[in-house]
Amino acid sequence: MPKVLIVVEHRCGTVKDATFELVTLARKLADASGLEPAAVVIGHQVAALADTLARYLPRVVAVDAEPLADFRYETHAAVLGDILETEAPLLTLAPHTAFGMELFPRLSVESGFPCATDCMEVDTEGSGISVTRSVYSGKVLSRATLASAAGYLATVRSGSYPAAVEAGSPGAVEQRPCPAFPTPLRTEHLGYREAAAAAVDISQAPLIVAVGRGIKDADNIPQAQELADRLGAVLACSRPVVDKKWLDKERQVGTSGRTVKPKAYLAFGISGAFQHMAGIKGPGVLIAVNKDPKAPIFAAADYGVVEDMFKIIDALKAEAGA
Amino acid sequence: MQILVCVKRVPDTADAEVVLQPGGSGIEEEDLAFGINEWDNYAVEEAIRLKEAHGGTVTVATIGPSESEDVLRRCLAMGADEAVLVDGAPFRDADPYVVARGLSAVAARGAYDLILTGALSGDHGFGIVGPILAGYLDRPHATLVTSVVPDGKHVRVTRELEGGLEETLRLELPAVLTIQTGINEPRYVSIMGIRKVRAKEIPVLDTAALGLAPEDVGAQANRIVHTGLAAPPAGKSAEMLRGTPAEIARKILDIVKERGGMA
Repeated sequence: MPKVLIVVEHRCGTVKDATFELVTLARKLADASGLEPAAVVIGHQVAALADTLARYLPRVVAVDAEPLADFRYETHAAVLGDILETEAPLLTLAPHTAFGMELFPRLSVESGFPCATDCMEVDTEGSGISVTRSVYSGKVLSRATLASAAGYLATVRSGSYPAAVEAGSPGAVEQRPCPAFPTPLRTEHLGYREAAAAAVDISQAPLIVAVGRGIKDADNIPQAQELADRLGAVLACSRPVVDKKWLDKERQVGTSGRTVKPKAYLAFGISGAFQHMAGIKGPGVLIAVNKDPKAPIFAAADYGVVEDMFKIIDALKAEAGA
Repeated sequence: MQILVCVKRVPDTADAEVVLQPGGSGIEEEDLAFGINEWDNYAVEEAIRLKEAHGGTVTVATIGPSESEDVLRRCLAMGADEAVLVDGAPFRDADPYVVARGLSAVAARGAYDLILTGALSGDHGFGIVGPILAGYLDRPHATLVTSVVPDGKHVRVTRELEGGLEETLRLELPAVLTIQTGINEPRYVSIMGIRKVRAKEIPVLDTAALGLAPEDVGAQANRIVHTGLAAPPAGKSAEMLRGTPAEIARKILDIVKERGGMA
């Protein structure tokens, strides 16, 4: 039976959440298309991680070796290349994260399997694969198929599938030997670096005033800060504001920044890119103000206002001060 | 250090209305403003800073229509030394694999220590041209790079992971790096600056000059086969608040108070 493999992302002994979303997709493909699902765990001292995955999927393949302790595309692509050869999966999945983005394109070149990235949906189509992706600032969906090949690769956008729950009966873990690496290796992992200790912790704030590209200029930041102060909120932002150095990284909400779970989130001039939205969790209310009625954030927000953000900021300051 | 930067001309769709062509084969481009892909702009700036600090040259290359020359001139005005335009006609509807194939042929024309490109493009956003190019050239790569420090025959980089975490890597040169936004502050390009490079010759290369056969780059070479565009589903869609700014502000404050966001 054709197989679907998921490549488990983990760091420092913890399986990343995105992996469990891939489990849901793999099970869906198992139900709909009869694919045989399995997880691949690559690393060093990963027995506990493999056992964790075995609670979700019927089969786990583990490759455990000291040089695999820290992820490098070179070593991991060599291990996966070996697995793709012997397992011959129809489809191999990874999360579209810094892990999947580094590994899968290169694995694609080395294996000859075509790879679709940042997919929101992945499905079988005949003997091949079709995908749906979000393009042009999230305003358009693009559909594609992968050119006929012996196997296919896809990376999946976080949040596209719900996280899986454990299966009824535990699966089996198989150890595989680590293959030889290409020599000499040309990349070396030197270490991890945490972002500097934050002076502001936006992650616990009950009320957040967040600004995006629509803030337009560093000179406009004080207006937003003033509103936040008056409401007793913390000021946060989306990536473009940090890229332009208008606010510090510790205030960035999103996949590469902080995750927040406020009771209310006021988004001003934020388009709603998934990387930002993925950082807003919990049942709080999301109110979006954007002058573009087609901004993707309105599809995710509870309340929307199509208006110049500065007019609403001024009005809010006036009303809150009254 | 000889550096090649691969850039792309893309439409600005963040603040514009995107209209699908009938049948969903593409988008209407007439009313869209085009410019350098945002990630590529950071890559060009990084290359120029490396040149300024360590010497060498910066060459920018793109595959695209003749209008892409504007993007290349802008890079020259920023401080790039040379620019190369690959005639985009044979690359119409090319997928990232075909684009990487074309760029690998451009790279083979020089002896580049470093090849930079944006981590992502603002149009289709596959984020794979860089590492695929590295694969085709058999060079080490790093994606989502947030700092670059040359170190003899190596380069030391940081990659952006999640939640404010970064990792540090050392790569052997020559290498391919894809650059994340925010790595630097790209310099301002004035009209005067662009005028100064107006006379600079930009060679236009066709597939024959690159040693590529038409079947290497045509749509039949695509590994990712585009089947159509569609409008995204409406989703749950927000309840729209209407009225004067003051009325809207009162409604927002009521909602925030009701949900416990403020006393």
